[in-house]
Amino acid sequence: MTDDAIITVEDLSKQYDGFMAVEGVSFDIKRGEIFGLLGPNGAGKSTIISILCCLLEPTAGRVTIDGFDVEKNATDIKKIIGVVPQEISLYYTLTARENLAFYAKIYGLSGKAMKDRIEELLDMVGLTDRADDRLEGYSGGMKRRINIAVALLHNPRILFLDEPSTGVDPQSRKRIYDTIRDLNRQGTTVLLTTHQMEDAEKLCHRIAIMDKGKLVALDTLQGLLKLVGESDIIQVTSKELPPEAADTIQQIDKVQKVAVDGGSMTIGLVRGRESLAGIIDILIASGTKVESIQIKEPDLETLFLHLTGTRLRR
Amino acid sequence: MKFHIIAAKDLKILMRDRNALLLMFIMPIFVISVTGLALSGSFSQDIGIDVLVVDLDNGEISKGFVEFLEEIDILDVDMESNEFAARERIRNQEYGRLIIIPQGFTESVMGGQNSELLIITDPTEKDANTVVEKIVEGYASRLSTNVVVVKTVAAYGVPVYNKEQIYEVVDVADQFTQPPPVQVVTESTSTRLEDFSPFTQYVPGFAIMFLLFTTIGVGSASLLKERESGTFRRLVTAPISKPEIIGGKIASTFFRGFVQLTVLLIFGHVVFDLNLGSSVVALIVLISAITLTSTGLGLLVAVFVTTKDQADSVSTMIVLIMSAMGGSWWPLFIMPQFMQDLAHLTITAWAMDGFYDLLYFDLGLAGILKEVGVLLLMTILFFGLAISRFRFE
Repeated sequence: MTDDAIITVEDLSKQYDGFMAVEGVSFDIKRGEIFGLLGPNGAGKSTIISILCCLLEPTAGRVTIDGFDVEKNATDIKKIIGVVPQEISLYYTLTARENLAFYAKIYGLSGKAMKDRIEELLDMVGLTDRADDRLEGYSGGMKRRINIAVALLHNPRILFLDEPSTGVDPQSRKRIYDTIRDLNRQGTTVLLTTHQMEDAEKLCHRIAIMDKGKLVALDTLQGLLKLVGESDIIQVTSKELPPEAADTIQQIDKVQKVAVDGGSMTIGLVRGRESLAGIIDILIASGTKVESIQIKEPDLETLFLHLTGTRLRR
Repeated sequence: MKFHIIAAKDLKILMRDRNALLLMFIMPIFVISVTGLALSGSFSQDIGIDVLVVDLDNGEISKGFVEFLEEIDILDVDMESNEFAARERIRNQEYGRLIIIPQGFTESVMGGQNSELLIITDPTEKDANTVVEKIVEGYASRLSTNVVVVKTVAAYGVPVYNKEQIYEVVDVADQFTQPPPVQVVTESTSTRLEDFSPFTQYVPGFAIMFLLFTTIGVGSASLLKERESGTFRRLVTAPISKPEIIGGKIASTFFRGFVQLTVLLIFGHVVFDLNLGSSVVALIVLISAITLTSTGLGLLVAVFVTTKDQADSVSTMIVLIMSAMGGSWWPLFIMPQFMQDLAHLTITAWAMDGFYDLLYFDLGLAGILKEVGVLLLMTILFFGLAISRFRFE
C-alpha cells in the first residue's frame, strides 16, 4: 500500500455458489487518480465495484476506503462515495429535478442547500432547460448524464462509475468524459469499470486489466503498451473463416495468438507487416473470401490479446 | 428516519400512473356497482312464506285467524274459496302451504267442542313449513285454551247458557292469555336476512379483492421494479439503512392500500347506503389490520420471485384463489362447513368475517378482536419470513 492510496484492495476474492468471480486481486488507487478496471463482461469488474460500494461482502481479503474497512464501516464509506451504476437507476415518471431532489433527501440535503446543489449539477450536465421534463422523454445519453449527477449530489470524495459510456451517443460520451475530467480536477478520485478501450485510453491515469476474475496487468497506458513490445494486430473480416486457416496461421513463426469471433479473425504477431503476405496466401488457399484486412498499431486491444489470448470484446 | 422519503416518492409515482389509479379506484367501483345491482334480486327478493287459506267456516273465529295470519310480516296470505281448487294449486306447487279452516269451526270452538285446522304442505320446503306449522299451532293453542276454559267453567256448574255469556268468558280468558304467561323467545340470524343487502357482501368483498391486487400485486411488483431498474441497488449504496428502505416500501404500499379500502367503503356507504357500523375506531382497526397483513404477503411474494413479471402472475393467482375461497365473491356462510374451514387459511375470510361483524352485526371493536388477532399473527408470519429471506445484494 502506498502512502497516498485512498483505496486499497488486498488479496480480494469473491465466490458465488462455487464460482470464483474474483480471485486474489490486489491493487491501490491513489488519491486524485482516475483508475480504470478494464476487461470483458464476466471478468469480475462489477463484483469488485459492488464490494467497494459495500453491496457485497468479500469471501476473502481486505478492502479499505479512505481508512474505512468495507466490512466494518459501511455507513462511513457510503457517505464519501458516489456510485454511478451501469443501468439507468432513476424513476422515469419523475422529472430530472424530482429525481435529484429525491436522492438529495436520501443523502441528507434539504432546503436552499439542496436546491442550489441541484441547480449546480443540472448546469454541469447541461440539462437545466429540461429539468422539469419527465425522464421518460429523455434520450439515453441525457438519462445517463442525470444518472451521473445523482451520484454527485453529496460531493463525494470517490466516484465509482460502472460502464459509464455504454449505449451512449458520441455527443453525450464527450460530455461524460468532460464531466469526469472536471470532477477529477476538483480532487475527486474516480474508479471506472469498462470494456470500452476508448474510456480507458482517454480518461484513466492507470489501468488494471482483468480477465476471468484475475488481475493480469496494472500500469499506466504507456506502461501497459510497452508490454506488447513490437506486437501488432492483424484484423481479417470475412463471411466465412475456415478453422483450418486459423490453425495454419497459428503455425507461422512470428504469430503469437489467433482468435476467431464470427466473421472476424484477430491475429496477434510480432512485426505484422513482415508476415502479412504469408497470412494472405493461407487465407486464399483455404478458400476464404476476405472482405477486409487491416494492420493495427498496438493498443489495449492488442495488449489484451497479448496477455490473455482472447479479444477484449468477446 | 428517512423511510418517509421513499414512501412519498412512491406515492408521487403512483399519482402519475393513471392505469394504477384506474385499477385502484375506478375498476372496483365499477365492479361493485354492477355486481351489487345485478344480484340485488337474489338478496332482497321477497322472503315471505306463501300460504293459501280456504275458509269454509266464514265465522267470527275463522276470520280472526285469517286476520292474525295476515298481520304476520313474513307470511304472504292468499284466500281461495274452493277447497278442491286450493288442493290443486298446492299440488301444482303454486303454493307451498294450504290451510283449510273447516265448516263450523267457530261454532265448535265456541261450544267447547274439538275441531281441527288442516295444513297441507309441499315437503320440499321444510323450513317454511315448520314456520307456518309453529304459527298455526300457536294460534290453535290459544283457541284450545278458550275451549278448555269454557269446558272448565261448565264443569264447575257455572251457568253458561247463551252465546253472549260464552263470549264473555272467552274474553276474560283471553285477557289472561295475552301476553302468554310463559313465552318462548327465539332469535335467529336468518330473521335479519332482510338487512343483508348485496352491498353488505360485495362492497367489502370486492374492496378486499382489489386491495389485495394493490398490496400483493402492485406492492411486490414495485419492489422488484426497483431491483430490476437498479434504483434499489443505488439506494443500498446510499447512507440509508436497510430497515429504512424496506420500511419506506412497506409504508407506501400500506398507505395506498389503506386509502383504497377506505375510499371504497365510503363509496359503498354514500352511494349504496352500506351500513358501516357504529364504531369508526373498529373500522379503522380492521382496515389497518387487513392492509398490513396483505402488505406483508406482498413483501413475501417479492422475496420468493425474481422478476416483476413473475410477481404479477404469482400475485394474480394468489388474489384470485383467496377471493374465491375466502368469500369475496359470495357469502362465506352459504359454503359447506369444510369449505368455510379451508377459507380461514386466507386473509380474505378473516377480513370478511371482520366486516360481517362490523357492517352487519355492528359488534364494535370487541367483536372483531379475534379476526384482528388472527390477521396480526399472519402479519408477523409474513413479515418475519420475508425479512429473514430478503436479499439486499
